[in-house]
Amino acid sequence: MKRITRLLLLAVLGGAALIFSAAPAGAAGESIEGCTIEGVDEEILEGASSEEIILLVVAALEEGDPDHSSEEYKDALHEVEEIVAECIEAPNVLLPEINEVIWGAVGFFIVLIFIMKFGWPAIKKSMDERTEKIQAELDAAEQAKADAEATKAEFAAKVADAKTEAARIIEEARQSADQLKADQQARLNDELAAARAAAQADIDAAKSQAMAELRGEVATIAIGAAESVVGANLDRAAQERLVEDYINRVGSNS
Amino acid sequence: MSVNLFAAEAEGGGLQFPPIENLVEWPAYLFEGTFAEFNKIALISVLAMAIPTVMFLAAGTDKIPSGLQNLVEGSVDFIDNQVILPAIGPEGFKFRPLLLSIFFFVFIGNLFEVIPTFHMPLNARMAVPAVLGILVLIVFVSVGIKEQGLGPYLKSSAGPSGLPKAMYLLVTPIEYLSTFIVRPFSLAVRLFANMLAGHILLVTFGVLCITLWQTSLLALVVPFSFGMLVALTGFEIMVSFLQGFVFALLAAVYIGGAMHPHH
Repeated sequence: MKRITRLLLLAVLGGAALIFSAAPAGAAGESIEGCTIEGVDEEILEGASSEEIILLVVAALEEGDPDHSSEEYKDALHEVEEIVAECIEAPNVLLPEINEVIWGAVGFFIVLIFIMKFGWPAIKKSMDERTEKIQAELDAAEQAKADAEATKAEFAAKVADAKTEAARIIEEARQSADQLKADQQARLNDELAAARAAAQADIDAAKSQAMAELRGEVATIAIGAAESVVGANLDRAAQERLVEDYINRVGSNS
Repeated sequence: MSVNLFAAEAEGGGLQFPPIENLVEWPAYLFEGTFAEFNKIALISVLAMAIPTVMFLAAGTDKIPSGLQNLVEGSVDFIDNQVILPAIGPEGFKFRPLLLSIFFFVFIGNLFEVIPTFHMPLNARMAVPAVLGILVLIVFVSVGIKEQGLGPYLKSSAGPSGLPKAMYLLVTPIEYLSTFIVRPFSLAVRLFANMLAGHILLVTFGVLCITLWQTSLLALVVPFSFGMLVALTGFEIMVSFLQGFVFALLAAVYIGGAMHPHH
């Protein structure tokens, strides 16, 4: 939309330029067509140069004033010179020097056709190449960006994987450590239980041996005590004292 | 004033070559006789300003350039790579708008030399080249004063360092004259003279064609004369471009010289 406005502006400027320029090319020439000088035949004016016109006019005036002395002659001469000068310097602004425009324009358009035919393809090619180059560069940049993003994503995935892996390894290590601990605990408990059982067995064995020994000892003691009782016929009190003594003796011996 | 050749053959008064002032002086369209008199030269000036402006405005800012935008961007690249980088260096990019404007104004103004119905190079009148030359003078002197300071700039423009003291008496006036007077003058005159010469050449062959066409016998020579007109038209298009380029390049060289005194 904005570009259309700009192109419209361009068209308006171009149109204005054309309107302005259509008129004035004539100033380059020396046209005196359209100029009229009083008292001079128009047919003589046609095709005559400015100096020839002045000479014609001066000749016409000289006929009436051969001495060139009168003010009238000088004024008239001056006036003629001014008119002619004005005609030459400023021909009708609305009448261009049409033949100059034609020759110039034909020459220009021939050159323009040459340029369009031979120069334009080269220009077009270089401009297209420029477009393609920029397009390619943009594409390459886009591609590089996409690649970089892909790589980044890949790396992010890898990092995530590594993290999971690490967590898994730690978890495993913890589990195996726990396992190890539990195993050791169990083995220790077993060993303790075994040790305890062995100790118990030892104790039981020692106990039963002691009991057997004690039983034999007691039997011996009882036999001894009976011997003592039998050997000395004593009263009850004496018997008890004898047994007591014996037991005490045994007790202190054992 | 007029030259009469082939008078015998010509029915209409022979070859009349227009006087030089008629080649370059134009009647006023508007405000005749005032300081603001608007004639063809003024119109071409306005167009030489307006055409590049409209081109740049209409170019658009697509990411991938095509058509007009390609042309406009290519011209900026051209000024960057052919004018600014070799003449000033990367720090000269701030003068890109100035140099680009000079190039386009001179080039488009010159191009009206061959545009039908205009047929008048803007710079075949001394006014525009003179103003551009003075503009360049002001810019490079300002750059010199800004970058180096007034004293050092005047000193560095006074001649190469290391000369015997007495030599400066001789060298300094020459250097000052060459830097502050001859530079803008030569810029302006180079442009003006080239375009005026081209314009006169085109008019010569144009008038020759017109006159020969009207004669009976010599009309046979018209193809040669017209061939020259066509060839010169092409040549002048090239000259128009070259003058714009040279003006911008020399302006850049002067600015670069003011920026780096011992370049």
